[in-house]
Amino acid sequence: MQPQTIWQKMLAVDRRLLYVLLLVNIVMFLLVPVRMPASISPPVQKFYDTIEALQPGDLVMISSNWSASTLAENQPQLEAVIKHLMRKKARFSIISIEAQSRDISYRLAERVTKAEGYEYGRDWVHFGFVPNLTVAIKGMVTDLPNTIKQDVRGTRVSQIEMLKGVNSLRQYKLVIDVTPSGTVPIWISYSPKEVNIIYCPTSVMAAEAYTYLDSGQIKGMVTGAKGAQEYEQLLGIVGLASRFTNAISFSHVLIITFILLGNVAMFMNRLAERREA
Amino acid sequence: MTWQLNPQDQWLWIWAIVLGAFVLVLGLIPLLQVLPPRGRRALVVGITFLAGLFFAAEFFMPVNEEQKNMLTPAIQPAQNLLQLIGALALGLGTYGLVRLHLKNVVQKRTQWGYSVVLLVSFVTMAFFSIWNTLAEKELAPKTPLLENSFKLLFDFTLVQLDAAMFSLIAFYIFSAAYRAFRIRSIEASILMFTAMVVMIGVVPLGAYISYDLMGFSAEPTPEGASFVQMLVHNLGLPKVANWILTSLNAPAQRAIEFGVGIGGLAMAIRLWLSLERGIT
Amino acid sequence: MEWLQNFLPLTFDRAVVWIGVLCTIAIYSLLYRENPFYRFFEHMYIGLAAGYSLGPLGVDILYRYWIEPIWVQGYWAWAFVVPFGLYLYFIYSERYGWVSRLVIGLLIGASAGLFFQEFSSRYLVQLNSTLQRPLWFSASNPDLTVGNLIQNYIFLAILLTVMTYFTFSYQQKGTVKGIATAGRWFLMIGLGAIFGNTVMARMALLIGRAYYILSDWLLIRVGG
Repeated sequence: MQPQTIWQKMLAVDRRLLYVLLLVNIVMFLLVPVRMPASISPPVQKFYDTIEALQPGDLVMISSNWSASTLAENQPQLEAVIKHLMRKKARFSIISIEAQSRDISYRLAERVTKAEGYEYGRDWVHFGFVPNLTVAIKGMVTDLPNTIKQDVRGTRVSQIEMLKGVNSLRQYKLVIDVTPSGTVPIWISYSPKEVNIIYCPTSVMAAEAYTYLDSGQIKGMVTGAKGAQEYEQLLGIVGLASRFTNAISFSHVLIITFILLGNVAMFMNRLAERREA
Repeated sequence: MTWQLNPQDQWLWIWAIVLGAFVLVLGLIPLLQVLPPRGRRALVVGITFLAGLFFAAEFFMPVNEEQKNMLTPAIQPAQNLLQLIGALALGLGTYGLVRLHLKNVVQKRTQWGYSVVLLVSFVTMAFFSIWNTLAEKELAPKTPLLENSFKLLFDFTLVQLDAAMFSLIAFYIFSAAYRAFRIRSIEASILMFTAMVVMIGVVPLGAYISYDLMGFSAEPTPEGASFVQMLVHNLGLPKVANWILTSLNAPAQRAIEFGVGIGGLAMAIRLWLSLERGIT
Repeated sequence: MEWLQNFLPLTFDRAVVWIGVLCTIAIYSLLYRENPFYRFFEHMYIGLAAGYSLGPLGVDILYRYWIEPIWVQGYWAWAFVVPFGLYLYFIYSERYGWVSRLVIGLLIGASAGLFFQEFSSRYLVQLNSTLQRPLWFSASNPDLTVGNLIQNYIFLAILLTVMTYFTFSYQQKGTVKGIATAGRWFLMIGLGAIFGNTVMARMALLIGRAYYILSDWLLIRVGG
């Protein structure tokens, strides 16, 4: 039966038209040369303040577990975090529990740190890939050098300048979990209580983490690309996330508009059918 | 008996032990096959119980001022063991995939040409990935061929394909939201209203609408404000969204957490004691 | 003219960007309809992803935790671990498949044993945090305001109603059913928040791809 009323036509619209509309919306607002400032949310402010409280030389563990599938959300987060840590002259080590993340985070960190004169081995190090985070954390708490053994470049941990005298995860001040999956409960469960944890999830995982924020198990959170934009704003830098936000805002407007349109079309179509009946 | 040999002088012994270990452990399988089903289950149950007992005991035993007890030194070798087993378990997925597609090619099943594409990509990437990882550790030479090939295969093929594949979901979410998100009940209304407030409230557009267009206050609540003043001061979309996330969403998520926690504990005990059929 | 020179794949660094865009367009061709172009790149993606994992698995793990301890440090006892781990691969054998359960049992037992620490550190802390919320004014909470007090009551009400909703050990009727219904409504708020955030996450991924095509390939200045 051919659709007759406008409401039936709306309900039967080809999904490919919707795809084109979405793409046009995104491209249009990416090209708009105006950037709206973000309102800094309390979790991002707490995240920023936690890193601001670090002293030069403090050790930070970055758990980078994202792959290219969440590049647009986690890459701006990791870049901003590394830039902030360099600003505070903190020393950081990166560990990955996802195979792809090993190279992605290593190459990203190499690129970002080179620009600021941070030296590998002296200021930062990458521990490589470990498939089992739980036992890795327990092992690092007990005996970090023999758990990690060597970094990505094959240097024994005991010979890395930055880690001389470091035997346990307890000597770290902060853990930053940049992840698209539920790894922060593992850090919360197994890392020492004296080490603070802050969290950079993708937006999908953020809603579940508010309970940890409430209980103080995580001290701050940067949620996805929009959180990264707020964080970049606090740092005074223009990164990837700052360039995305127009498009994110107006894609949400588009979705909300179409959800409402779909419901209006459904109601009007039902009314028309009842009148006909 | 010494647990450590000299690799320089006793390398032959080391090779002999490694080969012997493979022969012994894999050769044990026909012997284990002799066990009746109850014996096999007893062996599996025993290993499961001992593995769990070690970690549970290490956690529950009292610790000294260094936060260590008598089992703590064994955590690190246990960690090494589990990382190795974990890596082999991850390799099982790869093995299964390659096995399936090799069968497709050998038996010339439908669309076996795509299986050839997969296997060629697999071998090429595996070669350069292993070479790259070895070169990073200076165990293999780092040449321009390696750098350019890995850059092409990883940065500009795998990463782009992975990102593109997952970004498809955006289109499907948009299409599904338009076609299927229908307000037919109170629950659906609550879900939609909350989703809309959160979607607009957390992005800069929400701040622009609330603070620049509608004139709400963007400042934090002043000290000593009354309840009514606090309410009026927090009417902006970003603040409402944050309140929804922290005051309404957080307790709901915590309730789910408690349920998951209790269920997880019960399941952990059942798995540890092998009370769960069909797993071990 | 300068833009065209920079745009065309005349160098290796530009050619790889074109390949990246080709990969993206190939995947997006699925949106029009299923086609061989998409299938080709889909299979290539799976092959590349599976092949890539052998590097970190083989070198970062096997070399670090097996080859080096044995052949560089001389700890020969580790030799028995990999053959035992290979029992997993017998899962494909009908006759010997049960030996894989020995390794699976080890992994499951270890996870189960570790859960006690997780329960204590993850869930008990949250329980403690919930129970410490003040519900009346007292000398031990001098900073408590009316707003905070109301928030605490709301928090507890939502927590208890949602937990009631999830209690399926007995039939819910009467007052309990009413409380469970309220819990379901509050749960919808949490799910609405998750849905909103999920939409934001997926849109960001698509925007990232669009940014790559516009900025890295077409060399257009984007994002303000």
